[in-house]
Amino acid sequence: MSREVATIYEAGERERRRRSRDAKVVSERALRLPKRVRRLQRQAPMYAIQGLSALSTRLREMTGHEVIDMDRVMTLVQFAYRQQMLAKRGPHYAVDEFGFDPEWTEALLPLFEILYRDYWRIETTGIENVPAAGRAMLVANHAGVLPWDGTMIKTAVFVTHPKPRHVRALVASLFMGMPVLSWFLRRTGQTVGHPDDTRRLLERDQLVLVFPEGVRGTGKLYQDRYKLQRFGRGGFVSTAIRAGAPIVPVSVVGSEEIYPMLGDFAPVAKMFGLPYFPVTPFWPWLGPLGLIPLPSRWRIQFHAPIHVEEHPPDAADDQNLVLALSDQVRDVIQQGIYDNLKLRRGVFV
Amino acid sequence: MPPATPSRVLITGVSNPLGAEVARRLAVRVPWLFGCDVDDPVSALEDMDFVHADTRSSVIAKLVRQLKIDTIVHLAVIVDSPRGERATHETNVIGTMNVLGACAGPSSPVRRLVVKSSQAIYGARAGYPSLLSEEFAGLAPVGSPISRDLVELEQLAHDFAVRNPACRVARLRLGFRMNRQTSLGRYLSLPLVPTFAGYDPRLQLLHEDDAAEAIAAAALGTQEGPFNVAGDGVILLSQALGIMAGREAPILPPLGAWLSGIAIRSTTGVNLPAHLVELLMHGCVVDCSRLHTEFGWRPAFSSMAVMDAFAQGLTEEPVESPSPPQEYELQVYLQRRRRGERNGPSPRPLALTR
Repeated sequence: MSREVATIYEAGERERRRRSRDAKVVSERALRLPKRVRRLQRQAPMYAIQGLSALSTRLREMTGHEVIDMDRVMTLVQFAYRQQMLAKRGPHYAVDEFGFDPEWTEALLPLFEILYRDYWRIETTGIENVPAAGRAMLVANHAGVLPWDGTMIKTAVFVTHPKPRHVRALVASLFMGMPVLSWFLRRTGQTVGHPDDTRRLLERDQLVLVFPEGVRGTGKLYQDRYKLQRFGRGGFVSTAIRAGAPIVPVSVVGSEEIYPMLGDFAPVAKMFGLPYFPVTPFWPWLGPLGLIPLPSRWRIQFHAPIHVEEHPPDAADDQNLVLALSDQVRDVIQQGIYDNLKLRRGVFV
Repeated sequence: MPPATPSRVLITGVSNPLGAEVARRLAVRVPWLFGCDVDDPVSALEDMDFVHADTRSSVIAKLVRQLKIDTIVHLAVIVDSPRGERATHETNVIGTMNVLGACAGPSSPVRRLVVKSSQAIYGARAGYPSLLSEEFAGLAPVGSPISRDLVELEQLAHDFAVRNPACRVARLRLGFRMNRQTSLGRYLSLPLVPTFAGYDPRLQLLHEDDAAEAIAAAALGTQEGPFNVAGDGVILLSQALGIMAGREAPILPPLGAWLSGIAIRSTTGVNLPAHLVELLMHGCVVDCSRLHTEFGWRPAFSSMAVMDAFAQGLTEEPVESPSPPQEYELQVYLQRRRRGERNGPSPRPLALTR
């Protein structure tokens, strides 16, 4: 043992570096690029960014308006960097009991931010109604064939709120059993729409997002757009009362136009065990291209909280009160939808 | 009125590593400790009297009456076994029935019963809430044979507790344990691990030491009803594989537990029971807050720490320490001598009575 140490120290700088504990593992390839090329390879991304920013300035001077927006470029660069960091973090990262991995979710958010700002050009109002700390239940209308509205509400709260918070949406158990979807939903903080889960999340002082319409909302036809469906049996109100959480109604406008659903092909839906099988102008005719949502213009409004936590916990069993509160929330959301439809200039422009 | 501290404790199914560990912990805390199983004990324990007795026959009732047992720790419940469905049903349900029969009746000396159960009682389904509380067992129909057995034996224990208020019954639903013997441990230590494509279930694990400590604490306590016992936090299957340095092979099609079980067995040779195959798809996490509040104790190892400890233990050489035969004989001799000292010298040698 001591002899080995001695040989390392006698062997000189090069050998010591090779054997040190911090030595990098380098593959023993016969053909290795020269040192200068390797350094260039390492620094290539930085040079690319510098070149792009120079080009952006030049183009701005020539044409008079922004051609390459460096903010967006930096978002993408940051995204790539964070993905690299994620790949290196090893298996000991923390996941909460619901399977939520905040680090992973935040690394993915830049992509959704681009959708939020540039694709759907979302205008968010009333973000101050979302509490900066403590529990709350967000209740929103549900539309569009795929739940993009959920992702956009999450992005809106994380991007525009002065104190970024993660929203935990409740998902139908049907989707929690699907292969890739269940993995993605759990990773990004969603959980099963079960009263127990809602209660536990609220007890941990989280923001919980509920879509009381469920698949009745996402599966409705284009001709029925912006007409709220039945709000379940008001179960979300009882859960909020029991957990002592205020309800923040949320109106989303624009999600109805991303997939104009012309019809529902029920036999196919039955075959695959789905709640509905949509037929849009593009799906299923164009195959996977039909999955691309249309770039409608969106508005999201967070309304003033309805303080159901002022009722005593045993009021949760009072069916009259629960249904009245449920209708109150529904009316606020419906009114918000009409207001925002008036404020929106055009559907796609 | 039941005595405050148990004095004569019987452990059924003591001849496995968990039973041995529980016995070791109880030996220093109770005056009289007895153990029974069909096999020889894995390690000799001087302070325990060992009897060959099978819970599947009613001989256990005679044993309890004769030894004036006041506390039974029923560990003869098979959850993870390569044996067939029939054999495990026989041990789990009929065995528990016999033990309950031994405790029943006004003449019974038993005041405390601890039944080992498992987290497998819940099964694993997509629609379940993320954390399962104790009341959730038996509500939803469960598929795998082990889960059905566990529901049945817990129902038996519950009914017994209702009819016999003099005997306090605790049911411990232990989380999944990791060691070289459990099939989950063998599955995760494979170099190439077949998993379900597109699923990353949450697992919740329990360390052997915590399991033994929970059972010992329950045997000495008075808490009643079902308790979930599992480590804090969860660990994703992909994290577990990362810690074990195994490679993930997402090749299993989601075709139901039975077919997937056959696929795993034919490709890797590990025989996973149906409830574990379900677990690898949907995961199962329990809420242990009842244990934390009523026992005032929580497991020392989190789920992640259990996995770390297991991975670290595998790199070390296993220290197999089965007692050599002479030592076992020595223990039997010492037991006989001690028994003689306790009961006083027998009036005449046994040979003369015949």
